[in-house]
Amino acid sequence: MGFLNQLAEKYKTISIVGMAKNAGKTTTLNYLIEEAMDEGMVLGITSTGRDGENTDLVTGSEKPKVYLEYGTIVSVPEQLYELSDAGLEILRITSYPTAIGRIMLCRVKESGYVQIAGPTNTKDHKKMCEEMLELGAQLILIDGAIDRKSIAAPDTSDAVILATGAVLSRNLNKVVEETLHTANLYQLPEVPVGDLRKRIVEGASEEKIMLIEGEKVKFLELATGLLSGKYLDDAITKETEWVYIPGAFTQSVIADIHPAKLRQLIFVVKDPTKVFIGAKSWKQLKKRGFRLYVLEGIKIAGISVNPYSPSGYSFEHKDLIKAIKEGLEDILVFDVKFGVDYATV
Amino acid sequence: MGKTATAKVDLTKVKPYGDTLNDGMVQLSFTLPVPYGDEASEAAVILAKKMGLDEPSVVYSKDLGIGYTNFIVYGKCQHTVDYTSIKVPKIEVDVMDRLECEKFIEENIKRDVVIVGACTGTDAHTVGIDAIINMKGFDGHFGLERYKGIEAINMGSQVSNETLVAKAIEVNADAILVSQIVTQKDIHIKNLTELVELLEAEGIRDKVILVCGGPRISHELAQELGYDAGFGPRSYAENVASYVLTELVKRKLV
Repeated sequence: MGFLNQLAEKYKTISIVGMAKNAGKTTTLNYLIEEAMDEGMVLGITSTGRDGENTDLVTGSEKPKVYLEYGTIVSVPEQLYELSDAGLEILRITSYPTAIGRIMLCRVKESGYVQIAGPTNTKDHKKMCEEMLELGAQLILIDGAIDRKSIAAPDTSDAVILATGAVLSRNLNKVVEETLHTANLYQLPEVPVGDLRKRIVEGASEEKIMLIEGEKVKFLELATGLLSGKYLDDAITKETEWVYIPGAFTQSVIADIHPAKLRQLIFVVKDPTKVFIGAKSWKQLKKRGFRLYVLEGIKIAGISVNPYSPSGYSFEHKDLIKAIKEGLEDILVFDVKFGVDYATV
Repeated sequence: MGKTATAKVDLTKVKPYGDTLNDGMVQLSFTLPVPYGDEASEAAVILAKKMGLDEPSVVYSKDLGIGYTNFIVYGKCQHTVDYTSIKVPKIEVDVMDRLECEKFIEENIKRDVVIVGACTGTDAHTVGIDAIINMKGFDGHFGLERYKGIEAINMGSQVSNETLVAKAIEVNADAILVSQIVTQKDIHIKNLTELVELLEAEGIRDKVILVCGGPRISHELAQELGYDAGFGPRSYAENVASYVLTELVKRKLV
């Protein structure tokens, strides 16, 4: 069975998120589109940013175009419709706003290049994906934008393909470190099924910071956890065991928590997209006994590597695959230029 | 009944205009790290030829000292542009002046609109955000602070994304304006996407109108960054206000 059919058996929506700009998201998308053509699958294609334009809006360098086959369902905003070279049948004009007009859901009637864009926020994106499935898409691929990862949230997509590559750093070890950090965040331990999880899930709907001490549950009257580490520290007692943070989990949330208290706690966030802590700080925190759980992790369907950087340097492609593979045993790592068969599966 | 110059312009092959139509004349100004003199001027001419300019000539050169020379070079551009094939995505909104904006708020929103603005990251150049928000505005266009019905908060420069998001939540902002002037190594891109990710994580991305602005920001780029709109050069407070107010009503966020 082909790669895409295997994915479609497990997932309905897959987002391609990049570790950085030019990590190879669209190249990965194009590879998957080709696979889908071979396997005769109807894809739904959308993007969190923009896809299919000739030149990069930031660097002016050439960008891969997106060629869609007959039957594909695609999201196109009003202002990009005319720029499409494929024949598009407009199925629905939605009310999802974007910077470049309302989103239209189209079916490709005549194969060709298409310029794609999707809703600007993840809540709209989730709704739109449901509509695309209704319209007959068997598998939806969401192309990410730049280094934006919020689309990876399990609320929006069932799994991700993480695109990484030489663009991150000239130093291979650094590329591997950053990539593994993100992949490890996605696989943070989930709060196990049981009474505790039930209480956290129930309390989470309050959208407030929640402290759990034995049977007691305490909510903090803070609008956000950002920059409020001091208040959090005051509220944490010797008995506090679990701390649920509803929003973004950044350094500033925990910066002012006393080291002894930090050690006794287990933090919980909704999903890994809430975590904004870099590889280096993460290691330092770990040394201080820091622990973080999620209610729901992110499934990684694969990691695509691009050994070339647009600024001219490159790595030996097998070295990069091997190094990432070593850190992540059960995950498919592949170089799109060589296809999944070349991966050390 | 003389013919106008425009009658002869072929918009599918547009070239720079100097003295006569399609002469291709352009003027360049640059500095080379070489000492002032004939060799320096020759270097400038060779460089201009490599850039694709015909008949380049150095019309002015100045010794900048310590082995640097500044040039002004004229030359003829050989390339043309098909103007008819250009399509630039734009902000689709009818721009209202300040008084019209105030009336719009009174009639359609019926409460104060809260707008938080900042120049984020390491960027200390507040010229952009000040031009839009500060009362005196810029170039004869009053800033948002002057608008009745808009509560504008200018957080100034070098504001971290976290501080900006915390403020937006605290004051229940309707719109967030981010200015980015410094773009070295594309640092503005990373700064701008981080803000979007934080807003998503805090669960308020769909509750605010998110706008970015700066000399290297275009409306087209905004979509890629995850913003609702992007304002480049030649934008004033009324452009931003008209957009924000119209969108608030359109998205039923009033």
